Amino acid sequence: MAKILLQGNQAIALAAIKAGMKFFAGYPITPASEILHELTNKKEVKVLQMEDEIASVNAIIGASLAGVKSMTATSGPGFSLMQESIGYAHMMEVPLVIVNVQRVGPSTGMPTFPAQGDILQCKYGSHGDYFPIVFYPNSVDELYKYTITAFNAAEESLSPVILLSDGYVGHLYETIETVDYPVSERAMAPLGTSNRHFTGLTHEDSKPATSNPEVHKKLIKHLETKQKKVSKKYNDYEYIENNSSDTLLIAYGAMSRASYNFKDDYSIFRPIRIFPIVEKIKEIAKKYKEIIVMEMNTGQYKSEVEKLLHREVKLVPILGGKIDLQDIWGGLRRLKRGK
Amino acid sequence: MTRKLTYLNYLKQDLLPTQWCPGCGNGIVLKLACQSLEELNFPKKGTVVVSGIGCAGRSAGFFNLDSVHTAHGRAIPVAEGIKLANEKLNVIVISGDGDLLGIGGNHLLHASRRNTDISIICIANAIYGMTGGQYSPTTELGSKTLTTPSGNTDTPIDVQALIKAHNCFYARSTTYHLKHAMKCMVEALKHRGLSFAEIKTQCITNDGRRRGFKNGYEMLMYYKDNYKINNNSNELKHNEIGIVG
Repeated sequence: MAKILLQGNQAIALAAIKAGMKFFAGYPITPASEILHELTNKKEVKVLQMEDEIASVNAIIGASLAGVKSMTATSGPGFSLMQESIGYAHMMEVPLVIVNVQRVGPSTGMPTFPAQGDILQCKYGSHGDYFPIVFYPNSVDELYKYTITAFNAAEESLSPVILLSDGYVGHLYETIETVDYPVSERAMAPLGTSNRHFTGLTHEDSKPATSNPEVHKKLIKHLETKQKKVSKKYNDYEYIENNSSDTLLIAYGAMSRASYNFKDDYSIFRPIRIFPIVEKIKEIAKKYKEIIVMEMNTGQYKSEVEKLLHREVKLVPILGGKIDLQDIWGGLRRLKRGK
Repeated sequence: MTRKLTYLNYLKQDLLPTQWCPGCGNGIVLKLACQSLEELNFPKKGTVVVSGIGCAGRSAGFFNLDSVHTAHGRAIPVAEGIKLANEKLNVIVISGDGDLLGIGGNHLLHASRRNTDISIICIANAIYGMTGGQYSPTTELGSKTLTTPSGNTDTPIDVQALIKAHNCFYARSTTYHLKHAMKCMVEALKHRGLSFAEIKTQCITNDGRRRGFKNGYEMLMYYKDNYKINNNSNELKHNEIGIVG
């Protein structure tokens, strides 16, 4: 254990090495590039700067299948490019960690400003049905911890795990203690040891089965069950209860740091494993007359929470990358007045 | 006289016959690839075949060794990741021209710059066969396909120039010239660094029949009559096949 001053993105890079990552492929992008920089010249890791994010995610798929823990890091535009291959990795059950340091979108948007616009993209970005595990820490200390957690969850679920961050937390400097968190080892046999066939086609026992609905149903069920089972180990959240409040604020990532300013007036719930949504929220929500999600988008997590709780959830959207307490207050007051 | 059939060890014979159409050339390339592996005595454990999407992309699944069937166009970056993660593996890419030169073209460009030690066998049938016969990056000028009913007006990609520009290995052959095609593959597999063997392969169902060929045999005869072997050149002409090295 040591105390060091680190930037959020640096913490991800160092934690990945601690988790046993041996291969990193990436493409330069603001505000995630520091992860690539930090890993370059680290003797423990083979680092490849690829021609684009599609190549990056596919290179780590190959490396992971070949037996080494692998990661890539990007921001919204690159994350969009990776989507097809993320679904592919779910289908082939390849453990990966994909870091997305979010910036304002859509499109090129505001590259240097933080946002939380990729929440639904994490869950629904690729075609077909798949069941990702997504972590979203809110401090440098947590980025370190949850990078290792993400690697562990990936190895245990044999699937790509998304580590979300944002331009704010990613560029934040904080002093952290580098705790020796437990690390899950690789269980899957590497390529070159058998005669398996890995394919993105619907398959059973290493063989494509593209015209059998039963095989497909079974496969999708298997992916779902696996995610549920593994994510149970990581029911991570933060709950700050305020007994005098009948309203629960839900916030995550950069916005959750701002939400702490309102704890005298509201209870606060911060999911850390944002997908699948921590079930505990169902129980906690029952105590509150009102639930408000504050997030840096137009209601992406709100819609997911509503779906889970089967009740109305209100929204304070903060757009444009600037987190201003006056704006949040304004939003909360407007909701109080019923507007 | 008994013929040596030991190359069959490299095939998952229980999956045969393949799903390819009668007259298709993919099976020829598959067999030659297995024979090349045998010739070089590549161990099944220690060799990985990677393919992309399309008819040719289905090749990987027939090899009796660990294989990866990637997303469309992504065989090369996946293969690079495999090779860089474990340099002891022989990593072979087998895929079509649409996959490797069209949707995956950018990866080939950059993989050849990196000169990653992978061998690429390109089943170049000049058509998107699986989707019904649309023109591909190697379709000849003037060729009639589903999407070029008046003849193709796009210049076919000069993959030889691309590969040679980065000092990688290039060879070209056809499915008619069996021994020559195998020699190209063997040399490509032996090469240290990135190698690219382009094998002109007939697709009768979704290409040849629209261009007046009656069957796969006639297309093979076309290769016989139109391609001349030239193994002593630094640059193959349009109608030449050979090993440029």
